Amino acid sequence: MTRIVVDPVTRIEGHLRVEAVVENGVITDAFSSGTMVRGLEKILIGRDPRDAWAFTERVCGVCTTVHALTSVRAVEDALGIKVPPTAEIIRNIMMAAQQVQDHVVHFYHLHALDWVDVVNCLKADPKKAAELAQSFSKWDKNNTAYFTEIQNKVKKFAETGLGIFANGYWGHPAYKLPPEVNLIAVAHYIDALEWQKELVKIHAIFGGKNPHPNYLVGGVPCSININEVGAINGERLNLVAKLIAQADEFVNEVYIPDLLAVASFYKDWAKWGGGLTNYLSYGEYPTKGYAEVDAFKMSRGVILGRDLSKVLPVNAKDSQEIKEYIAHSWYDYKGGNNEGLHPWAGETEIKYTGPKPPFTSLEGSEKYSFLKTPRWKENPMEVGPLARVLVSYASGHADVKEIVGAVLGKLQVPVAALFSTLGRTGARAVDCALAMNYLKEFFGELMDRVKANDVATFNGEKWDPKSWPSEAEGVGLTEAPRGALAHWIKIKDGAIENYQLVVPTTWNGSPRDVKNQHSSFEASLIGTPVAKLDEPVEILRTIHSFDPCLACSVH
Amino acid sequence: MGLTIWQSMQQKGYSRRDFIQFCTAAATVAGLEHSAVGQVVNAFEKKEKPAVIWMHFQECTCCSESFIRASHPVVLDVLLDVLSLNYTETLMAASGAQAEKSLQDTIKNNKGKYIVLVEGAVPTKDDGVYCMIGGKTAESILQEVSKDAAAIIAWGSCASNGCIQAAKPNPTGATPIHKLVDKPVINVPGCPPIADVMMAVVTHILALGQMPQLDNQGRPKEFYGRRVHDTCYRRAYYDAGLFVEAWDDENARKGYCLYKMGCRGPVTYNACSVVKWNEGTSYPIQSGHGCIGCSEEGFWDNGPFYRHLPKFPGFGIESTADTIGTLVGIATVAGVAAHAVVTNVRKKSVIADVHTEDMKES
Amino acid sequence: MSTTLQPARPTMKKPVDYYRIYVWELPVRLYHGINAVAMILLCVTGYLIGEPHRVFYAAEAYQLYWFGIVRFIHFVSAFIWTFNFAFRIYWGFVGNRYASWRNYFPITKQQRHDIWNVLTTDVLQFRVKNDEIDIGHNSLAAFTYFITFLFFLAQVVTGFALYSSMSTSALPSMFNWIVPIMGGEAVVRFWHHLFMWFFVVFMIVHIYLAFYHDYIEGRGTISSIVGGWKFHREDDDNK
Ligand code: HEM
Ligand code: HEM
Ligand code: NFV
Ligand code: SF4
Ligand code: SF4
Ligand code: F3S
Ligand SMILES: [Mg+2]
Repeated sequence: MTRIVVDPVTRIEGHLRVEAVVENGVITDAFSSGTMVRGLEKILIGRDPRDAWAFTERVCGVCTTVHALTSVRAVEDALGIKVPPTAEIIRNIMMAAQQVQDHVVHFYHLHALDWVDVVNCLKADPKKAAELAQSFSKWDKNNTAYFTEIQNKVKKFAETGLGIFANGYWGHPAYKLPPEVNLIAVAHYIDALEWQKELVKIHAIFGGKNPHPNYLVGGVPCSININEVGAINGERLNLVAKLIAQADEFVNEVYIPDLLAVASFYKDWAKWGGGLTNYLSYGEYPTKGYAEVDAFKMSRGVILGRDLSKVLPVNAKDSQEIKEYIAHSWYDYKGGNNEGLHPWAGETEIKYTGPKPPFTSLEGSEKYSFLKTPRWKENPMEVGPLARVLVSYASGHADVKEIVGAVLGKLQVPVAALFSTLGRTGARAVDCALAMNYLKEFFGELMDRVKANDVATFNGEKWDPKSWPSEAEGVGLTEAPRGALAHWIKIKDGAIENYQLVVPTTWNGSPRDVKNQHSSFEASLIGTPVAKLDEPVEILRTIHSFDPCLACSVH
Repeated sequence: MGLTIWQSMQQKGYSRRDFIQFCTAAATVAGLEHSAVGQVVNAFEKKEKPAVIWMHFQECTCCSESFIRASHPVVLDVLLDVLSLNYTETLMAASGAQAEKSLQDTIKNNKGKYIVLVEGAVPTKDDGVYCMIGGKTAESILQEVSKDAAAIIAWGSCASNGCIQAAKPNPTGATPIHKLVDKPVINVPGCPPIADVMMAVVTHILALGQMPQLDNQGRPKEFYGRRVHDTCYRRAYYDAGLFVEAWDDENARKGYCLYKMGCRGPVTYNACSVVKWNEGTSYPIQSGHGCIGCSEEGFWDNGPFYRHLPKFPGFGIESTADTIGTLVGIATVAGVAAHAVVTNVRKKSVIADVHTEDMKES
Repeated sequence: MSTTLQPARPTMKKPVDYYRIYVWELPVRLYHGINAVAMILLCVTGYLIGEPHRVFYAAEAYQLYWFGIVRFIHFVSAFIWTFNFAFRIYWGFVGNRYASWRNYFPITKQQRHDIWNVLTTDVLQFRVKNDEIDIGHNSLAAFTYFITFLFFLAQVVTGFALYSSMSTSALPSMFNWIVPIMGGEAVVRFWHHLFMWFFVVFMIVHIYLAFYHDYIEGRGTISSIVGGWKFHREDDDNK
């Protein structure tokens, strides 16, 4: 029995430590530990609720935007503010753009190196690579000259030291791609790096900058006026249209084909990494206001025990449904360690009890992470693109079923293959394709509204704190790229009395709960074989399939 | 073999004199004596692209995200040609022990010559347990990597002035880098800083071969020498007194000045209104929201954001200096009036007293 | 040089002798006038800078510069006010005994006694005794002016610190180190704005008290700040 430690887990956001117990080459137990905390829930107390979006947006710069959106929804929910439909569409556009960009960056820059051997691409024949790439994509850079140029770049780079690629697990037997596929993937790694900065210009157009665009309680801060240079006008909308078209091409001609190509060599990973059997999604993209959940593009609900015939309802305001535990987290609750608190009653009293640094192992520490442990009706839940896609699939959304069917068909695997590391990575591509479609659709609707001159972007009825009740409470729910995200707010006398975030990676990456039930990261590692203890690429594959964000999870 | 810095500078038309100047600048950053410049010249001439370590502490990674949004140059060209980024948790291939090896190798093989870029603040409360990497505290890692660094750049408001985690009550004792290392630190504040500004600061050192001129807060004057307000294209409306009075009102749709919506442009030093964000696409004000002052020290505690002045501490959420001032003013007028009344009621005794005295025979 | 005044009420038995004393020299009076005008302008324009009011509708930016003008007035007044104040400090060393800097600090026992006197008699009004009327400032007023001068200084420092970011000329540049020390311009503005209210309150109380003293003491307090002369009772000299 060996305990292997991966710290830092890189190519994620933030500070994650994984300790895994390996017996006879298979992981039998795992510990997922978040090792950085900022205490933002404490910092928010006493602030103006209208400012909260800016604070919470700084929870994460990778999934930037999503906390801001969740926060304004929470405040609007508490105060009963309805945002104008045009503002809702702009928010949807920003959100969908974030999903698409985040998923592509995750695939190429955070996840791909678990499957793609960069150094091995030097052995590829660029001509063959071009032929192969052309067989599954119309992307015009898929040609021999370009692949040769990339190969030369990598060669030159390798000679001067590998920089960010140094000390990777290159040559590890778990890498299975032929050199040509490696070359294609490396070329697109580079292309994706250049492209990712484009789509988020949409955030700059409507929100002034990316990362961290601006939001507004009651609407969006930008005004529309097609007869003014100082507002969202024809020129701005043209730019959005161009960026969307560019993204559409990249997603459908580069990302999805690459994903399918890579995945087809790793079908054995449909066996491992499934982990939990419960899935939670809050649903996303309101089309008739945030309160009308039935009109969301993607459904809200829970799947228990992988039973796709039933989607259970979720009520985030019910004090018995969602609770956070700290039995193994470095916090104190007034009511004791074993209690679970609904977030409206949540507490954030940080108390580190781990070993004194520097340390080599967390073994023997009862508490081992700065993440709290959220549960839905006491059940651990997986959240993320997979959960999102499954809940909408099980709810019978035709567009979701179609794309899932297409992906499974191309890979020739059954639906059950989704419950795995490979399935999680594939579901992200499905989710990205869906978001791309919605993005186009929302933009079309925005143009219709501009044509009809229905351009109000702000509802100011409740802007003035004097119009607020002395006490109010609300919840903002979103589907962030990494899954179900919620903010709970309590407002008293115009100021924040309590503010609690339960974040996708909090669900997935948390330590076990008071009943010793594992959360997603730990559960999905158990049962995975590890070929070389000192190069545990298998751990990275499964952990990365969740796209962990630790700054988010702890906050 | 790849080009040495000297070779690539030669190709770009720099003379040896320029090169020595560059090395002098680098030596100044490293805090070396002038006499040590010769050594540095040799070091750079022989060596490859400068090694760079990017540390992540208490942050949200938005600075990294911003960095990869750069358009001139694009990040890839910099990663491939200008510098050798040997450590950055966000992008590097290696994890765990292999990542640690990359870090140690870089420090060992480039003593006094590598550049440290820091993203994030460092928690100092409770022995630094609030940020740990590989079982070591951020605080100890910062000391370890900065000891032999040639230059330290603090990315973003987190590293430059503490940013959000240092906002009241600063639960973890988040501290900016320059307060923890005894070397000069180039502060590049902003939440995050503008991508092309980050690139320009790096290339200012590596391609122009000069230390950027810094202001008294360690910020490059090039980008932090002017207020957002001074170069804002809405400034004409400000001077004319034409303001947005409410969100999405008629004035907002005309793009008037956002001062009355709480814009912090007048108190914020940054290049947003000139360089702009995302390849010059826009900046907060252009998209209708005021500047929140994200590059200023303590900007989180100077809120709320939708009022021009911070709230007056201790008097509830809506109290401003003006509400307090008005109250005190009214109280004063009332006090003065009461005083006048009392004086008049008592005038017989007060003034009469004087008079009786006056009337005394002498 | 003493003037015999006719008694206020002719039925009174004996007229009291008053004589005129030249208390406020011309520079002090000029200083006072300039100070008063500048300070009112600074408060009004400062308030508008902090809290702009909409005055024009349907105008275009190129037609207007009114906010610029408000700020211009603020800055011009600020410079005048500052130099005026600096001049007054100088005059505190070369002017007459009533202008002397010594008045402003409660250094002597007499001064401290005097402060007590004014507090109990004039401010709180529980004592009826008016035997020690000062010719120049009363000591409490003088001490208050000293406090005021500290606020003058604070306002000048914060004002020029703010101005230093809009100007490269020598005087404002001397203050640019203030900004980081105070924790950024937002903080400097906050204090600069808050101090304004001190001046508003000061002016209310100060003008009231000028009238009050004139009323109670009948020695021409108000006209003195314009003409320079105050009246003094002959019999006070014997005390
Ligand atoms: C009685 C003295 C003064 C008063 C009552 C006063 C009052 C004010 C007020 C209320 C503001 C608005 C602050 C805000 O809300 O942002 C202001 C701004 C300002 N004041 Fe003063 N001030 C005085 C003296 C000075 C002096 C001596 C200077 C030196 C130059 C000065 C320079 C400024 C500057 C530069 C601003 C900022 C204006 C802008 O950015 O447009 N002030 N003042
Ligand atoms: C903005 C308004 C004003 C300000 C800021 C102001 C300020 C001052 C200051 C600083 C002094 C001390 C002078 C020195 O020692 O050089 C003073 C004295 C004086 N001021 Fe004013 N003043 C104002 C308005 C007035 C007005 C309107 C009056 C009368 C109508 C007045 C009457 C006097 C008198 C009588 C003194 C002499 C006080 C004494 O004998 O103790 N002031 N004032
Ligand atoms: N987990 C997480 Fe996020 C996302 N997606 C937040 O809600 O990444 Ni930073
Ligand atoms: S400075 Fe701001 S943007 Fe950069 S890491 Fe810190 S919170 Fe994120
Ligand atoms: S919008 Fe802001 S930065 Fe621009 S002129 Fe107005 S106050 Fe200044
Ligand atoms: S909020 Fe920050 S991005 Fe620029 S305009 Fe203000 S400094
Ligand atoms: Mg939380």
